[in-house]
Amino acid sequence: MVRAILGLVVALASAPPAAAQAPPLPHLELDSYPAATRDAIAPALKNASARDSDPAVVGALGRVLQAWEQYAAADQAYQRAEALAPRAAEWHYLDGVVLRRLARHADAAVEFAAAAAADPSYLPARVARAEALLEAGDLDAAAAAFDALAAAPLARPQAEFGLGRIEAARGRHPAAIAHFEKAIALFPEWGAAHYALAQSYRATGRLDDARRALERHAQYGPRWPGLADPLLAAVTALRDDAQAALRRGLDLAAAGDVQGAITAHEAAVRIDPDLAQAHANLINLYARLRDWDKAAEQYRATVALGYNLAEANYDYALLLGLQQQWDDAEAAYRRAIAVNPFYSEAHNNLGQLLERRQAFEAAADEYKLAVDANSGFRIARFNLGRMLIGLGRPQQAVVVLEPIEQPRDAESPRYMFALATALVRAGRVEEGARWATEARRLALDYRQTDLAQAIERDLAQLK
Amino acid sequence: MITGRAAGVVAAWAALAVLGAAAPGPRAVEPLFVDAAAETGLTFTHVSGASGNYYLAEEMGAGVALFDYDNDGDLDVFLVQGGSLDPSASGARPTSRLFRNDLKVAPDGTRTLHFTDVTAAAGISLATYGMGAAVGDYDNDGNLDLLVTSFGAETLYRNNGNGTFTDVTRDAGVSDPQWSTSAAFLDYDRDGRLDLFVANYLDFTVANNKRCADPAGARDYCGPRSYHPVRDRLYHNDGNGHFSDATERTGIGKAFGAGLGVAAGDYNGDGWPDLYVANDATPNQLWINQHDGTFTDQGLLSGAALNAAGNPEGSMGIASGDFDRDGDEDLFVTNLAGETSVLYANDGRANFEDVRARAGLSSPTAAFTGFGTDWFDYDNDGWLDLFVANGGVNVIEAQRGQPFPFFMKNQLFRNLGTGRFEETSAAGGPAFARPGIGRGAAFGDLDNDGDIDIVVTSNNGPVRLLLNQAAAGAHWLGLRLTQPSVNRFGVGAWIGVEGGGHPTLWRRVRTDGSYLSASDIRVHVGLGSAPPGPSAVVVQWPDGPRERWTGIAPDRVVTLTRGTGENADRR
Repeated sequence: MVRAILGLVVALASAPPAAAQAPPLPHLELDSYPAATRDAIAPALKNASARDSDPAVVGALGRVLQAWEQYAAADQAYQRAEALAPRAAEWHYLDGVVLRRLARHADAAVEFAAAAAADPSYLPARVARAEALLEAGDLDAAAAAFDALAAAPLARPQAEFGLGRIEAARGRHPAAIAHFEKAIALFPEWGAAHYALAQSYRATGRLDDARRALERHAQYGPRWPGLADPLLAAVTALRDDAQAALRRGLDLAAAGDVQGAITAHEAAVRIDPDLAQAHANLINLYARLRDWDKAAEQYRATVALGYNLAEANYDYALLLGLQQQWDDAEAAYRRAIAVNPFYSEAHNNLGQLLERRQAFEAAADEYKLAVDANSGFRIARFNLGRMLIGLGRPQQAVVVLEPIEQPRDAESPRYMFALATALVRAGRVEEGARWATEARRLALDYRQTDLAQAIERDLAQLK
Repeated sequence: MITGRAAGVVAAWAALAVLGAAAPGPRAVEPLFVDAAAETGLTFTHVSGASGNYYLAEEMGAGVALFDYDNDGDLDVFLVQGGSLDPSASGARPTSRLFRNDLKVAPDGTRTLHFTDVTAAAGISLATYGMGAAVGDYDNDGNLDLLVTSFGAETLYRNNGNGTFTDVTRDAGVSDPQWSTSAAFLDYDRDGRLDLFVANYLDFTVANNKRCADPAGARDYCGPRSYHPVRDRLYHNDGNGHFSDATERTGIGKAFGAGLGVAAGDYNGDGWPDLYVANDATPNQLWINQHDGTFTDQGLLSGAALNAAGNPEGSMGIASGDFDRDGDEDLFVTNLAGETSVLYANDGRANFEDVRARAGLSSPTAAFTGFGTDWFDYDNDGWLDLFVANGGVNVIEAQRGQPFPFFMKNQLFRNLGTGRFEETSAAGGPAFARPGIGRGAAFGDLDNDGDIDIVVTSNNGPVRLLLNQAAAGAHWLGLRLTQPSVNRFGVGAWIGVEGGGHPTLWRRVRTDGSYLSASDIRVHVGLGSAPPGPSAVVVQWPDGPRERWTGIAPDRVVTLTRGTGENADRR
């Protein structure tokens, strides 16, 4: 409330207050920061201290602090910049972004309102204000803000989503569903909208629709319709340290841009050669490009830094396996497991290597450890089931294989076929035949003709 | 030792509060709670072992259990200890401690609360790197047993009924090497024997410790996404002192996240216990009991797994209870700073609505990372209030440069009875003004004076005993259930208190919830300030039947024995 009144007073003021009346600059203990951060913040702080009546210089300090996620200090700097230049949209907007990160949604809404008043054309401020009002629980004000946004084509998806959430919060789920469906029509890959839609479907008893919407939510995850936001982009661009490069590299890798991810990771290790995680990630990235030498070089760099990370050993083992250096790969998997005994993927892959050299009991043990560590690891479960069938323990194989027939996807036919085999070997022939028939049907659905024919042959033998 | 409801401490605080008053001035408002840990002999300091290596387990512990291990009618305290994770560390590891409550009540009603460390005598000197504790009578001998979770295998102690415990972990078959956190005893198949759910966290190992940085680039503890979640375990009580791992056959292994909190309750109102699991940065699970020995996860469909944006939150502690007095259990879940804690309101069929903003709980919790929590009626007005133990997990900006920059204040919220809450931390007293690294919290009436007290743990810090001063003058009812041979304490029973002009007040018999902690198994119901007259109490026993008792006078703890009430089965 105090902030709202102050914001209003500041926004209405015809002239900026004297610098003495503005909030002070944030007090920063620069010595408490690592060198790279200190080097980034110190010049901005020095400038702001020297020219503390200049809103651009004070705001620039806020931007640097925001870029380094020092949000409380950034808020303080922006507060001063806003007081010095109340009609500048930039500081209000960026302050609002900072306050949202601190989950101070009501305060953020005040700042976004001031930004939108100063520059009504800046759409991100209007969208952010409506969203902040909703998060703060002010449904009426949020509804008005989203209604106004619905007329702006670029913000229409956000407006429909916001209006849907408000209707849902008011218990009016049919209206909410209509809004969510419009939002999804405008941006089909919006995970959050599918999730919200699922909740409203559930509230109206449409459970099957809800489950389908949840599947789409799982498929699209955090994808969100973007709005061009040059003010925030300028802040993000201020970070050029190793951690920021690493984060950028991870984002690129997640998006499937391996070459871009390598470039970003290499930038990170150029800035900070001791950044073990970046070296470790590069093992995998170079291996994906089949550049064995560089991948091995990164593994050696990781180990040289004293970081015997399980993932590094695992990725190195994969790399060696791809080069058919089986003994070295096995040793690397064992190193990964020594560091992390619960590493299910490492146990599974080690099992495959042991199976390759016909150490079947040992392979089964590794597969079992993989399943114990992650019961939802279907390939490991499949491998264990296969191995138990081969070792003449079909009853145990049935228990292992039964849970993997769900979810039904392209992998399911071979899993179901394995289950069918286990059942037949365990003497449960009719059940086995049923599963085999279902596996064959599903294999045909997924156009896996070779598998379907193999199942057909086995079924014929059974008959 | 503390006498007469912490009078000395209160007086000292009041004197401090009247600033500048040399002579007696206007009396300061009495704080709602006073910290009486040191005065009562409850002296314990958690050792995180923080070594500068930022081992993730160092910042997660530890918990506390309140239970009457010696059956003398008052709550004893078990505090879980950490130690050092550094492989090069030498010397004896500090141990978890058991404190016996030697409460004395004089003929004039004056209470003297004092705790005695009986760890060695009880044979319970556990030196694992402990995390949490769970309490239940798994062998149906009328003595509450103790499970201790750890960074490493958990430990099950059977209460021998003579003041000592025996480590039965190996024989019971509950030793799982994964990092266990919170646990819950529940009778999921309603066979009269308490089964055991253990939440497991991540596949972090000391050898696989990663180097992570805070946003400013300084070394910091890694977040949960740096490691892989590991699956939780559900153990079936076979009735012969042995548990069998039922994780697979019950379906519990089908979904899991980085488990930190667990509560058992009947969320869809079908009379069978369900489970709610709070996961860190991964979707929470709502395991709905299928009545055939299996569960299905309906967290996503129920609306209690994610936030409104469809994203998982960093969930830690759970409070499960009927805050809105509509006869079902709602969920309050503590989250990471910047996310806000969440209140999921139940419609009685396990459909949950996120009402955090509407309830007024969003803004006040935004700056805090919450851990231990529970619904408890601190002022005995009949409405369930909230306590939250807070403490950071990553460097707090304003504390940068300090050795342990994770300090936060704990919080208290009063239920206004309108669906909204007001923060009353400021009235809580100095104990709420003094920051700590709050983790576990357990709730119960330690001085048997008719109100709920709190024991709060602090990571790498001293324990706090928050004695309730808020409920004076209000009426209450304490209820303890007993069954002759099975599930002796009635864990999972649903108790309704009728009368007093209010709707039936429903409470669950449980010790679970919160974070890494176990609370008093007795049910406590506030009845308000007006003379309540005798109440009627309905008990729905865990296996289904209902019984009703009438004419129960207030302001006392009553033991209700199965078979002594009237049949009250619903038609």
